[in-house]
Amino acid sequence: MEKSTLANKNLRIEFMRKYGTVLGAMLIFTIFAVVSENFFTLNNQLMLLRQMSMLTIIALGFTFVMGAGGFDMSIGNTAGLINIVFAMVLIGTKNFWLALGASIACGALVGLVNGTIVAYIGLPDFIATFAIGSIVYGLKMLITRGNPIFFPADIPKIASFIGQGYVGKIPFPVILMIFFVVLVIFVLTKTTLGRRIYAIGGNPVASLYAGINVKRYRLITFVISGVSVAIAAVILTSRLGSAQPLAGEEFLLDAIAVCFLSTTMFGDGEPTGSGTFVGAFIISMLNNGLTMLNVPYYFQYITKGVVVIFAVVISVVLAKKLKLKL
Amino acid sequence: MLDEEARKETDLMLSTENVGKEFNGVWVLKDIHFQLKKGEIHALVGENGAGKSTFIKILSGVYKPSAGSVFLEGEPVDFHSVTDSEALGIRTVHQEVNLVPYFKVYENIFIGAERKKRIGGMSIVDTKRMKKEATKVIKDLGIDFNVSSPTLLLNASMKRIVEISKVLVHNPRIVIFDEPTTSLGEEERKNLLQIIKGLKDRGLTIMYISHNLEEVMEIADRITVFRDGNQVGTMEKSEATTGKIISMMIGHDNYKHYCRTDKYYCEDVYLSIKNLTTEKLKAVNLNICKGEMVGIAGVVGAGKTEIAKAVFGLDKIESGSIEVMGKPYIPSPENAIRHKIALVPEERQAEGLVPNYCVSKNISLTYLDKYANRAGLINRILEIETAQAYIDKMGIKCTGPLQTIKFLSGGNQQKAILSRWLNGDFDIGIFDEPTKGIDVKAKEDIYGFLEELAQQGKAVVVLSSYLPELMSLCDRIIVVRDGRVIGEYSPQQPNAEEKIMHAMLGGGA
Repeated sequence: MEKSTLANKNLRIEFMRKYGTVLGAMLIFTIFAVVSENFFTLNNQLMLLRQMSMLTIIALGFTFVMGAGGFDMSIGNTAGLINIVFAMVLIGTKNFWLALGASIACGALVGLVNGTIVAYIGLPDFIATFAIGSIVYGLKMLITRGNPIFFPADIPKIASFIGQGYVGKIPFPVILMIFFVVLVIFVLTKTTLGRRIYAIGGNPVASLYAGINVKRYRLITFVISGVSVAIAAVILTSRLGSAQPLAGEEFLLDAIAVCFLSTTMFGDGEPTGSGTFVGAFIISMLNNGLTMLNVPYYFQYITKGVVVIFAVVISVVLAKKLKLKL
Repeated sequence: MLDEEARKETDLMLSTENVGKEFNGVWVLKDIHFQLKKGEIHALVGENGAGKSTFIKILSGVYKPSAGSVFLEGEPVDFHSVTDSEALGIRTVHQEVNLVPYFKVYENIFIGAERKKRIGGMSIVDTKRMKKEATKVIKDLGIDFNVSSPTLLLNASMKRIVEISKVLVHNPRIVIFDEPTTSLGEEERKNLLQIIKGLKDRGLTIMYISHNLEEVMEIADRITVFRDGNQVGTMEKSEATTGKIISMMIGHDNYKHYCRTDKYYCEDVYLSIKNLTTEKLKAVNLNICKGEMVGIAGVVGAGKTEIAKAVFGLDKIESGSIEVMGKPYIPSPENAIRHKIALVPEERQAEGLVPNYCVSKNISLTYLDKYANRAGLINRILEIETAQAYIDKMGIKCTGPLQTIKFLSGGNQQKAILSRWLNGDFDIGIFDEPTKGIDVKAKEDIYGFLEELAQQGKAVVVLSSYLPELMSLCDRIIVVRDGRVIGEYSPQQPNAEEKIMHAMLGGGA
């Protein structure tokens, strides 16, 4: 009797630790739906999904980096640089695929530099990626002098479709997002790449002893992060119809928030693909819902900060409780 | 047992009664009745795993004893933390040097205990007073030294002096020295022993832990020997000889539970280490053959682990070479696996486990590609079935392949790590302290698996500081000390244990 109640209690704690954030999100969702009459409408929900698609894709890349125990501070600035690269190649060549290729190559290159400095030279990831972010910021300002690049009228249709198009009622970026979410969940849970990345995050030294090429895999996570930033930046530029050097900077803080939320869900303290998706939904829902309620933007920042701290603290506290019980 | 009155009247500084410590149901220390007299140098010796460090940690408040009590000058004391024991004047000089390199010497000496003065309403660091006090402490040790020099530039021996000074500024009553002469040269060792003797003359009570019996014989007034968590005996120096201490450390009845039966003759050399020199190793030569069980014996820090690390490419090789089957081999973990070399590391928690992974994911980690198709998609069912097979074969106690490994006991974790390698098809297995910190039953099992591996024709290299297990397992035992190979012994040769122990400890007999 005694034992089974304890086991039940443990199950409850375990359930709350893994799904508490989801429950919290549902609660916030319900509140928005009740309080704001425009929030829970099909149009707004589709808009919310479209808004969150870019953040989700960036955060999915960040999930790889964090899964291997790393951190990437360069993503916000890199997004801005890729906006420009995409627009310049597109305008110069009028070829969307070339522009997409150049963007992905540029993202991969930034990731390669980050990864090389962190994994092979051994600088702390926080500092290295922060510095690279600063260099990237300088580069994009050097190229544009801070001015946006507008698309002329004769760019290929597909270049605007990526960010603005619809398939039926569903915005195309949402389809892209769902594709990448499924892909990332698959890679992280079912493949050797995901298994090794989480092993490195769980214990880098043991991974080394187990014969995993820790440096190479850490490098790979930064490249994946860079590429995901590139994809999100292409969508962003396509949606805006112009390349804004500063657009995408808020992705850094939001993606960090998403990935920390992700660590509180489903897993054992590591970010997961599904957790990142839900996390991105939470952050975007806050942005959207608070805007609907005409809450000034600075309150949105405060709210996001509070929500992240709350979720992470609760999850850590519950994990500790569980540990004590076992 | 002493009653309270007797305890107070005697000249005991510190005593313990029935002190014991258990971790996860394993008693690593049992019934210790230790008595430390005022003003003596009391040496504590024993093999690795004998319980010395655990005992020291109890005395210094790191661990709470699971049984028994500690008395300081007859009064029972109950330490909840290191701060408690330090407040009562018990200080430890640790084996490792822990100094901030870019601090000045006096800053290191007063680290965490800075002298302060008040100016206005503010409390600020009193540099002048710290310099003065530090100078005095060092001068009292018979050394003339500028305490404002940067710590970075000090040699090993001076760093040790700084560590000692760090303890002495607090005017302790009892100083515990844990292997203080590690990494010191011969001359520096002698000087340090003089300094410790000088402390005794100043009335301090000293506990001295060392592997080096020569030192112990030179410095100690009394000697206590631990073996397998038991206090084997305490004797006056006048009654002690190196031989007697060694036989007490070894014991003679407690390790024959495992004994290798097959005789082996080396035919083809698999792994050959030639003049290998790294930061810790000096011109090491070793040949390992298929199908043999080789023991590499040495005390902690002797260089055993460093040999394994060099083979796995984890330590930089300064000179020398490694060959696998006569061909040059470039060490790296991946290359090692490609050349069918396995390494079960010493630190199970830090170097072996992915703690949040379940048993099956920990087992499959090294040879993960075996479970995956070309695209890298893992066959999870095969993975879990294989894990279950190892759980059955090795007798891993767990709820199943999906249980998170951090919740398993040490012995079962170790079996899972062994399975990780058994899973592949290695030819030479290096096992670094394979039975460290695990219970007796699991030890027996692991000895059995190691033997089985050798019978399958694999080379099994066991690195251990626990001689009895090497004696019963191995065909030959290679002794390392201070990064050098000292010699090779057959466990069958007469008085092998004593000879090997002498070689390991380096004491003149």
